[in-house]
Amino acid sequence: MNPSDLAAVAPELLLVVMGAVLVLADAFVPALRPRFGAVAGASAVAAAILRWTGPLPGAVWSGALVVDPLARFVDSYILAAVVLVAVIAGPYLARTAASYGEFYGLLLFSAVGAMVLAKADSLLVVFIGLELLSISLYVLNAFHRDSGVSLEAGWKYLVVGAFASALLLFGIALLYGATGTFSLAATARVVAERPLAGNPLVLAGLALALAGFGFKLALVPFHAWAPDVYQGSPTPVTAFLSVVPKGAMLVTLARVVAALAPQALTPKWLPLLATIAVASQVLGNLVAIAQRDVKRMLAYSGIAHMGYALVGVVAFGFDGLVGVLVYLAAYTVMNIAAFAVVSAFSESEDEPHLITDLAGQGWRRPFLSFTLALAMFSLAGIPPTVGFVAKFLVFRAAVNQGLAWLAVVGVLASFVSVFFYVRVVYYLYMKPLPQRAPAYLEPWPVRVAAGACALAIVGLGIFPSWLLNAAETAAKTLLR
Amino acid sequence: MPTDFLLSAIVLTPGVVGLLLLVTPREAARLQRWVSLLASLLTLVLAAVAWSRFDPANASFQLVEARTWLPSVGIGYRLGMDGISLVLVLLTALLQPIVFISSWRSIHDKVKGYVVAMLLLETGVLGAFLATDLFLFYVFWELMLVPMYFIIGVWGGERRIYAAVKFVLFTLAGSLLMLVAIIYLSFVFHAQTGTWSFAYEDMLRAAVPMGQGFWHSPQMLLFAAFALAFAIKVPIFPLHTWLPDAHTEAPTGGSIILAGVLLKLGTYGLLRFNRPLFPEAWHRATPLFLTLAVIGIVYGALVAWAQKDMKKLVAYSSVTHMGFIVLGLFAGTVTSTQGALLQMVNHGLSTGALFLLVGVVYDRRHTRMIEDFGGLAAVMPLYTGAFLIATLSSIGLPGLNGFVGEFLILTGAFPRHPAFVAVAATGVVLGAVYMLSLVRRVFWNPLAIEANRSLPDLTWREALAFAPLAFFMVWIGVHPGTFLSLSETAVRRLIGG
Repeated sequence: MNPSDLAAVAPELLLVVMGAVLVLADAFVPALRPRFGAVAGASAVAAAILRWTGPLPGAVWSGALVVDPLARFVDSYILAAVVLVAVIAGPYLARTAASYGEFYGLLLFSAVGAMVLAKADSLLVVFIGLELLSISLYVLNAFHRDSGVSLEAGWKYLVVGAFASALLLFGIALLYGATGTFSLAATARVVAERPLAGNPLVLAGLALALAGFGFKLALVPFHAWAPDVYQGSPTPVTAFLSVVPKGAMLVTLARVVAALAPQALTPKWLPLLATIAVASQVLGNLVAIAQRDVKRMLAYSGIAHMGYALVGVVAFGFDGLVGVLVYLAAYTVMNIAAFAVVSAFSESEDEPHLITDLAGQGWRRPFLSFTLALAMFSLAGIPPTVGFVAKFLVFRAAVNQGLAWLAVVGVLASFVSVFFYVRVVYYLYMKPLPQRAPAYLEPWPVRVAAGACALAIVGLGIFPSWLLNAAETAAKTLLR
Repeated sequence: MPTDFLLSAIVLTPGVVGLLLLVTPREAARLQRWVSLLASLLTLVLAAVAWSRFDPANASFQLVEARTWLPSVGIGYRLGMDGISLVLVLLTALLQPIVFISSWRSIHDKVKGYVVAMLLLETGVLGAFLATDLFLFYVFWELMLVPMYFIIGVWGGERRIYAAVKFVLFTLAGSLLMLVAIIYLSFVFHAQTGTWSFAYEDMLRAAVPMGQGFWHSPQMLLFAAFALAFAIKVPIFPLHTWLPDAHTEAPTGGSIILAGVLLKLGTYGLLRFNRPLFPEAWHRATPLFLTLAVIGIVYGALVAWAQKDMKKLVAYSSVTHMGFIVLGLFAGTVTSTQGALLQMVNHGLSTGALFLLVGVVYDRRHTRMIEDFGGLAAVMPLYTGAFLIATLSSIGLPGLNGFVGEFLILTGAFPRHPAFVAVAATGVVLGAVYMLSLVRRVFWNPLAIEANRSLPDLTWREALAFAPLAFFMVWIGVHPGTFLSLSETAVRRLIGG
C-alpha cells in the first residue's frame, strides 16, 4: 500500500468514517439525531468534492479498483442520490416515527458499496462492493420495524438478494477456476486465448454472473422481487434503491463487457442481452399499466427503464456507453423526483400509495405536483426533458450499430409507457380534489430537493451538453 | 435588435413569458390575461418585423441562426425561415392573440394554467415551423403535446379526458417512429459523408437508398415513418378519428389553435420533409395519398352534413379541407403546392373564425346543438354577418380567401390527375351544402326557442377577435399575390419545379 492509493479512495474512506460516526453518535449522543440528515448530506457533498478535486490514477490497490473518469461520473450521481435521499428522508422519518440514526449510517455504507462496485476491476471486489451495498439495503428496506409491509420488503430483498449473490459468487468461482485470476483484464486475456464455445467453465461462470447482475438490475426474468420491495420499503429508501444499485451494477456490467471485448461476446451474448432488454421493456411497461399503487407502478417502470439502458450496453461502442451513462444520470434525477413527491404526498405508510389518491393535488399543491408531472413526462421520454435526451442517445447508439429494430421496439415500448405516466398527470390535474384535506404539508427541504430534481430534469433536457461531455470523457476511459 | 436573434425572439418570447407567469400568484388572473395577450402581440410584431426583412426572391433559409448544442452528435440549435415557414409563422402569430381575446371571459377557472399552456404551445408551434435541425424540430414538435393535453383535459368539455388521452396517444404513435427515422437519416448521412449531423440542409444531401419493395427499402420505410407522424396530425383519412373528439371537447381557444395551426404542422411536415428528403418514395406513394385525400374530402363532407352539433360539424369540415391540402401537395405541381400552402392559411382563418363564433353562442347558451338555435339573424345581426363571412370563406366564395386556395389546388392538380380532381370537386359542392344548411338552420329558421330571443349580439371584444380574421379573408381573396409571392421561390426549390 502506498499513500497515493489511500488518496485515491479518500471519498470512500470519508463516507465510511462518517457512517460509523453517525451510528455511534446515535448510541451515545441521541440529542443530535435531528442533525444526522444534514451531516450525511454534507459528507456526501464533501466526498463528491474530494472526488472531483482528487487524483484519477486509474488502477489502484494492485489492480483491485479503478479510479478513472468513469468512476468519477458514477460517483457523482450516486452521491447526488445520497444527498437528495438524505434531504427527503429527515421529514419522512420524523413523520413515520422512525428517526433512528442508523438510517444515515447505513445510507452512507450502502453508497460506499455502490461506489466500490462501480470501480471494481476484480471480480472479488465486485462481490464485496455488492454485499456492502446490499446488506445495508436489507436493513433499510425493513426500517419500519413495526410495519409488516416494510419487514416483508426487507425479507424479500434479503432472500432474493442472497440468492443473486450466491449465483454471482458461484459464477465468480467458476471463472476463477477456469482462469486462475479475479482480475477482469486477466480474465479477458484467458478468454481471448480460448474461444468461449470451447470453454464451458467460462461460459457457465459468465452465465451465472449475468444472472446475478440481472437480479440486481431487476431485469426480466429476474425482476419479480422489485414491485413488493419497492412498495414496502420506506419511500426514501425506495428512491435510493431504485437508482443507486442499478446504476452501479450496470456500470459494472459495462466494465465486464468492455474487458471481455464485445467481439468475443458477439455471436451469442449480445442477442441474449438484447432479448433481456426487450423483454424488460415490454413486460415492465405492460404490467405497469395495470398497477394502482404509484410505487409498484414505478417499480415496473424501473424494470422497463433498465431495459432501455441495457440497449446501450447491447449496442456498446462509444455511443452506447455514453448513452448508458447519460441514461443512468437521467434516471437518477427523474426517479428521485418522483419518489420525493410520492413520499411527500403519502399520508400514512400503512396505506398503499394509490394513484387515485393524487386526485386534484395539482391545484392544491402546485409545486410538488408540477415536479411529479415533470418526472412523469421525463420518464415517458417527452422533450424537453433529460429523459428524452437519454432515450434519444441509447436509441441512436442502437441505430448506429445496425440495430434499428431495437430502437423501434424501444420507442413502441415507450409509447405503451406514455399511457400510465400520463395517467398520473391526469389524476393530478384533471380529477376533482376529494373533500378530505391532506393532513400533512411537506417542509421546505423536501421542496428544495424536488425543485433541484425538477431543475435538473428540464435544465439537462435543454442543455445536455455538460452531461454529455462528462459521459463522453467517462466512456473514453473504458474503451481505451 | 440584431437580425441573427430575431427568429429566436419569435420562438422564445411566448414560452419565456409563460414560464415567468408560472410564478405569479393564482389570484392574479387579470395580470395573467393581459401579460399573455401582450406577449402574443409582441410575437406578432416580431413576426411582422421578420416579414419586412424577408426577401421573397431568395429561395433559401433567411435570418438564419446556428448555435452549437450537442456538437459531438451533430445537433445544433438551427433556425431559419423561408417563404413557407414565414406564411405559417404569420398565421400562428395572428391567431394567438385572437385566442387570448376570445377566451378572456370564457376561461375563468385556473386562468394561469391556461395562459401558460397556450404560450408554451405557441413556442412549440413556432419552433417547429422555424427549426432547420431535425432534432430541434422533433423537440418542438413534441413540446406541443403536453400543453395541448392540458388544454383539452383541464378546460375541455364533458368527455375531455377521453379526448385528451386519445390526442396524446395518436400523436405519439406517429411521432415516436419518426424519431427513429430521424436518427436513421442521420446515420445514413454519416455513412455517406463521415460527419454527424441533424441539420436539415445536410439531410437534403443524404441520398437514402431506395432498395427493393417496401420492407427492404430504407427510403420507403423512412418515408412511411415521417408520413405516419404527419398524416396523423393532418389528419389524413383513416387516421382522423382523434380529430372530432379533440376539437369538440377542447375549449374554444384550444379548438382555434388546434384547427388553425396544429393541423398545419402535418401538411407542413409532408411538404418540408417527406417531399425533398424521400423523392422517390414520395413519387411511389402519391397514388395512395391522392386516394386517401379525396376519400377524406368526400367522407368528411358527408359526415359533417350529418352532424347535429355545430362544433362537430366544423371539426369534420376540417377533414375535408385538409384533404384538399393533401391533394394539392401530392399533385406536385408548383400551382397546386402553392394552393395547398395558401389553403393552409385559409383553413386556419376560416375554421378558426368558425370555432370562435360557435364559442360565442356556446358561452351564451351552453349548448352547441343546431336544433337549439334558429332564427338568430333577427336577434344577433352582427353575429349573423360575421358567421356568414366565415361560412362563405370556408366554402370558397370568389372574392374571399377559400376560393383562391381551392381553385389553385384544383387547377394545379387537374393536368396530372383529372380523375381525382373530379371527385374532389364534388367536395366543394358538398361543402356549400353542409355549411349553408347549417346557416339556414341556425340563423334563418323561425325563432322558436324562447331562450334565444334575448341573446345579446357580439360584444366589442368578440368583434375585435373576429375582425382581423375577416380582414385577412378579404385581403387574400382580393389580392392573394401578397402571400403567394412570399412562398413561390421556396416552393419551387422544395419541389424542384
